[in-house]
Amino acid sequence: MSRSVWKGPFVDAYVLKKAEKARDSGRNEVIKIWSRRSTILPQFVGLTFGVYNGKKHIPVNVSEDMIGQKFGEYSPTRTYYGHAADKKAKRK
Amino acid sequence: MSTDRICVGAIAGAFGVRGEVRLKSFCTEPGAIADYAPLWTEDGARSFGVTLTRTVPNGLAARLSGITTREAAEALRGTRLYADREKLPPPGEDEFYHADLLGLDVLDTGGTPLGRVAAIQNHGAGDILEVRGAAGGALLLPFTRACVPTVDLTAGRVIVDPPEEAAP
Repeated sequence: MSRSVWKGPFVDAYVLKKAEKARDSGRNEVIKIWSRRSTILPQFVGLTFGVYNGKKHIPVNVSEDMIGQKFGEYSPTRTYYGHAADKKAKRK
Repeated sequence: MSTDRICVGAIAGAFGVRGEVRLKSFCTEPGAIADYAPLWTEDGARSFGVTLTRTVPNGLAARLSGITTREAAEALRGTRLYADREKLPPPGEDEFYHADLLGLDVLDTGGTPLGRVAAIQNHGAGDILEVRGAAGGALLLPFTRACVPTVDLTAGRVIVDPPEEAAP
């Protein structure tokens, strides 16, 4: 069952506070958070969060198409490296 | 650091009785493995032309040049296949093959060595460079122009500007 619309998206209060502070500072920084359950809001676009996966903080660069998802979806708790083969990395 | 050959797949065993092999492709597009032929064994002693015949559960069925019997195909089980680096198409602007980035020296903007590129991850929010230093700790950096301003493949190094940690 989905969450009631009248409640709005859930975000831990400290995440909002940290994001606001980071946006105001305008510096190139990673916002360390432990809240994997928080929803990604439009005001987070362009910020980089370090989302804890139980071991380390995985950098998550928030873009528009991530709005509405949870932070935890971008910070997997299990790692599989795979093979490099012909895979490419794109610098944004 | 550009390597001469890149592992693009492995032989998982024989397929059928006519000398076909079951191929495991590590490529982004599994079928692209045939475009990189001839494929070499790890020691470079043997090379094979590859003709893909069909898709099978957990891989592709393929005919390798010089392999005509099931026994010969079965003997190749577990063999890793390598492609020449030059066979890969040139990457686009600001695109880099993982194989080219892995092992590059990582320096910060002040010239202090931080370690080497150990892995490149992507969990849906952009590519992440995993840098491992001599001490063994891992540093995860978003692969962005702000954090990684310079990638010099010829010099074999990457200049990074690690982001600060936000104040609590």
